[in-house]
Amino acid sequence: MFAPIKRTVRQRALVSALTRRELSARYRGGLLGFFWSLVNPLLLLAVYAVVFRFVFAPRAEVRPYALFLFAGVLVWGFVSSALLDAAETFRHNGPLLRKTTVAPEVFPAVAVAARLAHLLLALPVLAGATLYAWGRGSVAPGPAILELPLVLLLLVVAVFGLALAVSALAVHFGDVRDLVANLLTLAFFLTPVLYPVEAVPERFRPWLRANPFAAFLTAIHDTVFFFRSVSVADWLVMGGTAAICLAAGGAVFERLRESIAEEA
Amino acid sequence: MVDSGREDGPTVEGEGTIAVRAERLTKFYRRYQRQRSFGSLKSALLSGEGFRGASPEGSVKALTEVSFTVAAGETVGVVGANGSGKSTLLKLLAGIVRPTSGRVEVAGRLAALLELGAGFHPEISGRDNIEISGLLLGMSKREIAARFGEIVRFAGIEDFLDAPVKTYSSGMAVRLGFSIAAHSDPDVLLVDEVLAVGDESFAHRCLEKFSEFERAGKTLVFVSHDLSLVSARCRRAIWLDRGRLAADGPSADTVALYRERVASEESEARLAVAPSRDAATRIGSGQAVVERVVLRDAQGRETRRLRAGEPASVELTARAREPLTDFVFGVGISTIAGSPVLGVNTEADGLRPEEFSGQARVVLEIPALELAGGLYSLDAAVHARDGAPYDYRRDLLRFEVTSERPSLGVWSPARRWRGEGQVRWKK
Repeated sequence: MFAPIKRTVRQRALVSALTRRELSARYRGGLLGFFWSLVNPLLLLAVYAVVFRFVFAPRAEVRPYALFLFAGVLVWGFVSSALLDAAETFRHNGPLLRKTTVAPEVFPAVAVAARLAHLLLALPVLAGATLYAWGRGSVAPGPAILELPLVLLLLVVAVFGLALAVSALAVHFGDVRDLVANLLTLAFFLTPVLYPVEAVPERFRPWLRANPFAAFLTAIHDTVFFFRSVSVADWLVMGGTAAICLAAGGAVFERLRESIAEEA
Repeated sequence: MVDSGREDGPTVEGEGTIAVRAERLTKFYRRYQRQRSFGSLKSALLSGEGFRGASPEGSVKALTEVSFTVAAGETVGVVGANGSGKSTLLKLLAGIVRPTSGRVEVAGRLAALLELGAGFHPEISGRDNIEISGLLLGMSKREIAARFGEIVRFAGIEDFLDAPVKTYSSGMAVRLGFSIAAHSDPDVLLVDEVLAVGDESFAHRCLEKFSEFERAGKTLVFVSHDLSLVSARCRRAIWLDRGRLAADGPSADTVALYRERVASEESEARLAVAPSRDAATRIGSGQAVVERVVLRDAQGRETRRLRAGEPASVELTARAREPLTDFVFGVGISTIAGSPVLGVNTEADGLRPEEFSGQARVVLEIPALELAGGLYSLDAAVHARDGAPYDYRRDLLRFEVTSERPSLGVWSPARRWRGEGQVRWKK
C-alpha cells in the first residue's frame, strides 16, 4: 500500500527533474516564458474584480468577492488540473515506460508537482491583491495565514493519493479521463469554491460537509481571506482525507502497477 | 546498490559470480491489448471482470520456460529472428515487464539501453536531457555531475549543450543517448540492437566502450541481428527461437546452429512450392494409385532435407483398386532442372510380382545417398510390367541434399584422394 509512496520519495530527484522539464518545456519558446504563469491569474483576477464590482453584487460577508473567488479558483484549479493530467500521464509517457526502467509512480507525482508549482507561482499575485485590499481597508490580514502551508500540504497529499489511483486506472480503462472530468465539473459546484459554507441553507450543510474537499476549500478561505484559524473539525477531516486518499491510491496503484508498462 | 527505480526487482546478494539468473521465464502478452485498454471502467464493473489478468486463451506466448545464468564479467549475445522474444527477454531482465511465471535475479546495478535516447524531450536542452536520462538510468545527481564532461565529450556535442534536443541531428541524439548509458556505470548492461543506428565511426566507438566494459569486469547482454558481430564480440551466445531457448553455448556454435536453421527454413520455403498437379504430371489407368510418398533420414524421421552420404529411404503408400498380379513400383529422381539422376524399379531390381491388393507400403532403402548437394525432384509410379502406367506421378515431391563437401554434378560418392611421388598436402 505504501510501496508506491516510498518509491516516489526515493525517486524525488527524478520527480523534480521531470517537473522542471515539464515546466520549462511548457514555457520555452514563448515570448514571456514563465511570466505567463503570472499573466494568467492576473487576468483572471482582473476579470473577477470588474465583473463582481460592476455587474453582480456579491454577498456582504465575502467582499471583496474577487479575492475570495480568486483564492478558491486557484486552489480548485490545482486539484482538477493535477487529476486530469494524472489521467493522461501514462499515455503521454508510454515510450519512457516501455523503454526504460523508470518507476511508474514518478509520473503521477510529476503531474501533481507541476500543477503545484503553477499554484505556488500564482500565490504572489494573490498576495499582491490581498495587500492592495488591505491598503483599502477591505481585508484585515492576521496570523491565521501561517496555517496555509499545512493546509496545502494536506491537500497535496490527498491529491497525490487520488492521482495515483486515477493514473493507474486510466491505463486500463479508456473512460477514466472523461469520468474524472465530469466528476470534477460537478464537484466544482458542490465544493465551496464560489461561495462560503455559510451561504448554503442550514439543511443542506451536512451534505456539503460530506464532501471532504469542502473542508479544504473552507480552510483555504479561512486562512487567506477571512484570516481566522481553521476549525478543529476541518483539520480532522483534512487529515483523515489525506491519509485515506494516500492509502487507497497507493493500494490501487500497487494492484495495477505490474501491467502499467505493458498497457500504457 | 544505487536505486534504478524498480528497486523491488529481485537482486542476488552474496553470489559474486552470477550476475543474471533467469529461471523458467515465461511471458504471455494479451492478444487484444489495444481493445482491452480501450475497454471501459463501466463495462468492467458491470461484467464483474474487474482487474483480473489475461486468460491464457487470449494471450500470445512471447517467451516459454527460458532459463540461463550469466556470470559476472561475461558478454553474452542474444540472436534470433524477429518476434522470437529477444526484446521481451531484455525487458524481463530489466524489470520493465513482469514474467507471467518464472524468476529473474540481477546482481548489482542494471542499466537497460532498449532504445537510444528514450526519455529525451525535444524541447529542452541537451544539458537538461543528460540529467533526466542519467536519473532514468539510475545515476545520482552527483554521479551525473561528476561524469558530465565525459558524457558530453564522448557524444561530441560540446557546442550544442544548451540547444534544445529537437535541433540535434539524429546522429547527435543517438550519440548522446549511448554516451549517457555508457557512462552510467552499471554492473549489468542490457543493450537491444542499438548499434544498427549511427554511422560507422560511432559504431566503432560503441564497440570500444563495450570492450572497456568487459575489461572492467562488467556484464553485458546484447541483442543483435549482426551475427558476425556476435561471434566476434561474445564468447557466449543464446539463440531464441519462437520464445524458446534453442541454443546456449559458445557464440560460434550458437551462431552456426542459428544460421543452419535460417538456411533450412529458406530451403523449406522453396521446397514448399507445390508441384503442379495437372494431367501431364500424373498419368495412368488408376487401377492402382500412389497415395503418398515420404522421405526419411537415417533416423527414420520424415524430412525433405537429407545429408549427402547418409542413409535415406523413400516410402511409397499405394493402393490397388482391384487385386493385381502384374505390378511394378518405381522411383525416379531428377534435378530440379529436369536431368534424370536415378530411375529404379522393383522389376529391374529382381522382385517378381505375386499379389498386390488393398493398401501397401513399399520402401526403397538407400544405404548411402551418394548425391551432390542441391535440390532434387522425385517421381513415383506403380505400373504394369510392360510399362503401362496404373499411376505415374512426376515431381511428386522436392527435397534438398546438403553436403559438407561441395562438388559439381549430381554424383557424390564416398571418396578419398591419394598422391604418390613428389606431391604433398598439408595435414
